[in-house]
Amino acid sequence: MTTIHHTRVQRATLSSRIAMSIGIVALVALVAMPWWATSGNIRWAIELCCYIAIAQMWNLLAGYAGLVSVGQQAFIGVAGYMLFVLAQNFGVNPFVAVILSMIAPAVLAVPTYFLLRRLDGPYFAIGTWVVAEAVRLATSNIDYVNAGAGMTLRVMTQYSQHEREVAFVILCAILLLVTIGGSYWLLRSRHGLALTAMRDNPVAAASQGVNVGKLRFYIFVAAAVGTGFAGAIYYMAQLRITPSAGFDPFWASMAIFIVMVGGIGSIEGAIIGALIYFFADRLFGEFGSAYLIVLGLLTLIIALYARGGVWGLLQKLGDHPWFPVRRKLIVEDIS
Amino acid sequence: MQWLDAIVQGVLLGGMYAQYALGMALMFGVMRIVNIAHGDVMILLSLIAVSLAGVLPLGNVGLVLVIVPIAVGLGWLLQKFILNRVVGADPLPSLIATFGLSIALQNLMLEIWSADTRSLPNSDIASASFQIGPIYLGLLPVIVLLCAFCLTGGLDAVLRYTRFGRGLRAAAADTEAAAMTGVDPKRIYATATAIAVGILGLAAIFAALRATVSPSDGSAQLIYAFEAVIIGGMGSVWGAFIGSMVLGVAQAVGLRIDPGLGILFGHLVFLLVLATRPEGIMARKK
Amino acid sequence: MTDTPILSTHGLTGGYGDFQALFGIDLHLMPGEVISLIGANGAGKSTFLKSIFGLLPVDREMVRYEGAAVGGTPAHKMVGRGLAMVPEGRRLFVGMTVEENMRVAIDHARLSESEGQWTRNRLFELFPILGEKRNQPIEDLSGGQQQMVAISRALLCQPKVLLCDEISLGLAPKVIREIYAVLPEILSGGTSIVLVEQDVTLAREASNRLYCMLEGRITLTGNSNEISRDDIAAAYFGASNAMA
Repeated sequence: MTTIHHTRVQRATLSSRIAMSIGIVALVALVAMPWWATSGNIRWAIELCCYIAIAQMWNLLAGYAGLVSVGQQAFIGVAGYMLFVLAQNFGVNPFVAVILSMIAPAVLAVPTYFLLRRLDGPYFAIGTWVVAEAVRLATSNIDYVNAGAGMTLRVMTQYSQHEREVAFVILCAILLLVTIGGSYWLLRSRHGLALTAMRDNPVAAASQGVNVGKLRFYIFVAAAVGTGFAGAIYYMAQLRITPSAGFDPFWASMAIFIVMVGGIGSIEGAIIGALIYFFADRLFGEFGSAYLIVLGLLTLIIALYARGGVWGLLQKLGDHPWFPVRRKLIVEDIS
Repeated sequence: MQWLDAIVQGVLLGGMYAQYALGMALMFGVMRIVNIAHGDVMILLSLIAVSLAGVLPLGNVGLVLVIVPIAVGLGWLLQKFILNRVVGADPLPSLIATFGLSIALQNLMLEIWSADTRSLPNSDIASASFQIGPIYLGLLPVIVLLCAFCLTGGLDAVLRYTRFGRGLRAAAADTEAAAMTGVDPKRIYATATAIAVGILGLAAIFAALRATVSPSDGSAQLIYAFEAVIIGGMGSVWGAFIGSMVLGVAQAVGLRIDPGLGILFGHLVFLLVLATRPEGIMARKK
Repeated sequence: MTDTPILSTHGLTGGYGDFQALFGIDLHLMPGEVISLIGANGAGKSTFLKSIFGLLPVDREMVRYEGAAVGGTPAHKMVGRGLAMVPEGRRLFVGMTVEENMRVAIDHARLSESEGQWTRNRLFELFPILGEKRNQPIEDLSGGQQQMVAISRALLCQPKVLLCDEISLGLAPKVIREIYAVLPEILSGGTSIVLVEQDVTLAREASNRLYCMLEGRITLTGNSNEISRDDIAAAYFGASNAMA
């Protein structure tokens, strides 16, 4: 009796199906928020979505492309400012402007990458910070955007609160789809293998025919756009932007904290980290600098002793990916 | 004439930056590590100096004699408990670890010293000045510049002509090969960090004498040190010194054009160097 | 010659992280002896040398040197005990001159230059070109000259055992002869040598005994002048290939 082996490639797992279902429920709940949640809760949800998106983008940079940036606030700020200028100074519909404002981070990211790519790993990081500082200082000196005093999004008053909230939750849903979904799509695509190889060993990846430089460039620009999108939504909800807030280095600290605590190099890690940070911020934010000391020390300890973060620890208990990016060959016996 | 004055003041300011930059160049050169908490450690030392000066009548020289050993000890602790664990080909762990340390240190200083700006009590040196032709020179900035010059020269000589210096350059070129030749890399790293932070101890006192310091100033110092190192060209202490002068002059000139443009001009010169001469203005051709 | 080896390994296993490259290597080197370790690319020869030298983690008992268990001792301490290595690819200190490269070894050697048998002057006599170029940066030298510096650097550690990793790689035949001609002089000073080579002929000519390595295991050992070429070919490429 001969055995016929039937093979197929499996990617979805039980855990991923559960996660996907929860994700869809969460996304629907998010979009339905204006009809069931308070305005305060919606504001929180917007904030959380922005954290997740910004962290996810930083994860893509540092966790896969090997580009550690401490200057992502540059893209948050320029996108925010482009939105305010388009809506306030040019009279563009703000909800259209928020989409258009993704142009600014893309335009900034290209020369930034070409200037900084010459710098070695750690120097690249501080280089991004210098770019962010330069853009912040330049913005503070431009009267057209009201210099250091910042801008207010007065045009938003023409919409009712309900209209605004509906628009915000839809924008947030798009933001999550673009950043999480986009990362997931990228990692599952043919570039995904290259990216994972690059994360594990860039030199070996290059010798295997991965165009490391080109892939890094694309990721840098894509991450800038995703980060900028989150920034535009965030400051649209805030209705106000100033150079010191929009270009605050704390944005980078937050992204780093979220990704390191959650677990670098995984989509799940950034989401877990964002949730942890969000709730920690609600609970302990009032302690101010004492709370930040703990955040800083936690980041330090994770870098020293538990590079995989929370997701890394969970993985040790069992392999239950929410976003499986590996392919598994299943051999079935059909007798 | 005001431009000549701007250049002179810029060079003097560069003397201050050189003291931050030397340590960074040294540590990066040997370990390929950038300590993001570099500036915060300096501010911490400044604040300790200010507090000490408030309780003990040490005088400026006395303060240096107390703070520099504290700085060396701090460098040793930093190396032993943090940097030794993150040295490696992957820059991420060292960046993240020192980034976390930087946030923790900044906020710890805020808790202890509050956000107020502080400085060391005005002494004769800090206010004394003299005149050469039409230009006034503060005595203290001149001393700072001379100190930076001597430190750079001293460090350069140590690197060139001593056993430690050769061992350090060997470890910087190829750590594994250096170990095979008898060099103990951990010891070299520890010594380099102790020297780097020790220099910061001196810089801390000058910074608190020259101007004010507050807990959140560290990031700016880090960035200036970094810009100076890149402008001058990596891997040479004289490069870091010259880069500091260029940065100081750029900031002073910018400041004369518009008070809001000083620091921005420094960043722009840095980006310009990166665009046109990424190996640094002092680097030799390969 | 005495009966106790100066250097020996016992069931040495090791590799990089999760990747095991060596599977129980037993090898010994007698005082005053030259042994050669041959094998194809990727057989684990360089990994083996690094494991001996404390550059890769191994158990203490796996390496014995002058009777003591020394496995896992940090490299710089192995230098202090009298081991030195000419690493694959030379690994000189770029940005430093010829003489500075040598001085790093002198600075950290087991014995000072005046106590030990190797001095800069002696090496400059052996390799006159290095004397001429002593103040030039290492990058300005040719491959063969750089190999001479690498050997000089290792000898200035005043070693009792010298490990040479592929010193002929990428060099012209004339230069290889020049470099191999120095081996007797090194031996005459009482230094024992482990030669890692891909060039079988060269390895056989220069050594007393020979080990052949394949996929992390020793597949053949014996006196260099007694082993037949066929045996070597079988051990070098694996039996199945040799038969084909």
